[in-house]
Amino acid sequence: MAHYAILLYQPTPGDPDELTQEERDEHSRYGNQIEELGGKMYAPHALKSSTMATSVRGDMVTDGPFIEAKEVIAGFYVLEARDLDHALKIAKLCPANWQGGGVEVRPIAAGSTLPPTP
Amino acid sequence: MTSVEQAVADAHRREWSKVLAATLRVARDLDLAEECVQDAYIHALEAWTRSGIPAKPGAWLTAAARRNALDALRRARTYRSKMHLLVESDVSEQSLPIDPVIHDDRLRLIFMCCHPALAIEARVALTLRLVCGVSTQDVANAFLVPEATMAARITRAKKKIAGASIPFRMPEASELPDRLDAALNVIHLLFTTGHTAPSGET
Repeated sequence: MAHYAILLYQPTPGDPDELTQEERDEHSRYGNQIEELGGKMYAPHALKSSTMATSVRGDMVTDGPFIEAKEVIAGFYVLEARDLDHALKIAKLCPANWQGGGVEVRPIAAGSTLPPTP
Repeated sequence: MTSVEQAVADAHRREWSKVLAATLRVARDLDLAEECVQDAYIHALEAWTRSGIPAKPGAWLTAAARRNALDALRRARTYRSKMHLLVESDVSEQSLPIDPVIHDDRLRLIFMCCHPALAIEARVALTLRLVCGVSTQDVANAFLVPEATMAARITRAKKKIAGASIPFRMPEASELPDRLDAALNVIHLLFTTGHTAPSGET
């Protein structure tokens, strides 16, 4: 099995409070869909608005996200999948894709939320 | 050139990608597969001198390369290195036919090389290198870039295949519409390269 960080991008500021109830429900249903497709989701997180973010570069502290962009990371989770094709199939169903944003599928090198590989 | 050297050279030109694709199915790792295939050709030079050129050089080389791959994987498993995660449990020496379904493997190889997760220029370069056995120098010539640039591009693509777990398999029927164009583009460019060879006689 391979592990990927699924990074959910939303239009700036990526505020979860702006999601409608319907959109929230889509996200909760998505969790079950992942299991049905044979994937496993670990450590799902939704982030607060990127306007709440503070960035540190060396000694300098600035307000706002690390990179100013039209889209910001609004959430993430760790996906366990068979291979990249399996991960992409699951990633395509992520509600972020039709809620104005999209997702990045990023292979994980090492981490502590992962189960030990057999 | 002796007749054995000639036979090995011929087999390299004609069979290399088939042998590689069939070996990759066992090895599950591009670098390992390439190494095993290379060893098989080296071994052929010596073995064919000793006991004659086999009737089907391609089948001989495929069997030898896959045996190398199995050996390497068993060794790796013993060493408890990460490699054993990549071994398919149902692969054993008995399950390996001498003349495998070669066309499927090569098509799998093409689809792996043409995966949308790879940059488009990397897809073509990788396919030329791995499926057609075009040398890195010639691939570089075809793209009008220095050889070092092309070598780096191919290495990056191979690293991504391993790092992101891009699978060595045919896309599912539902994925084919999205995946077909990339493969067709690459196949078209392969024919172009065959038509106007970047080096040697055309």
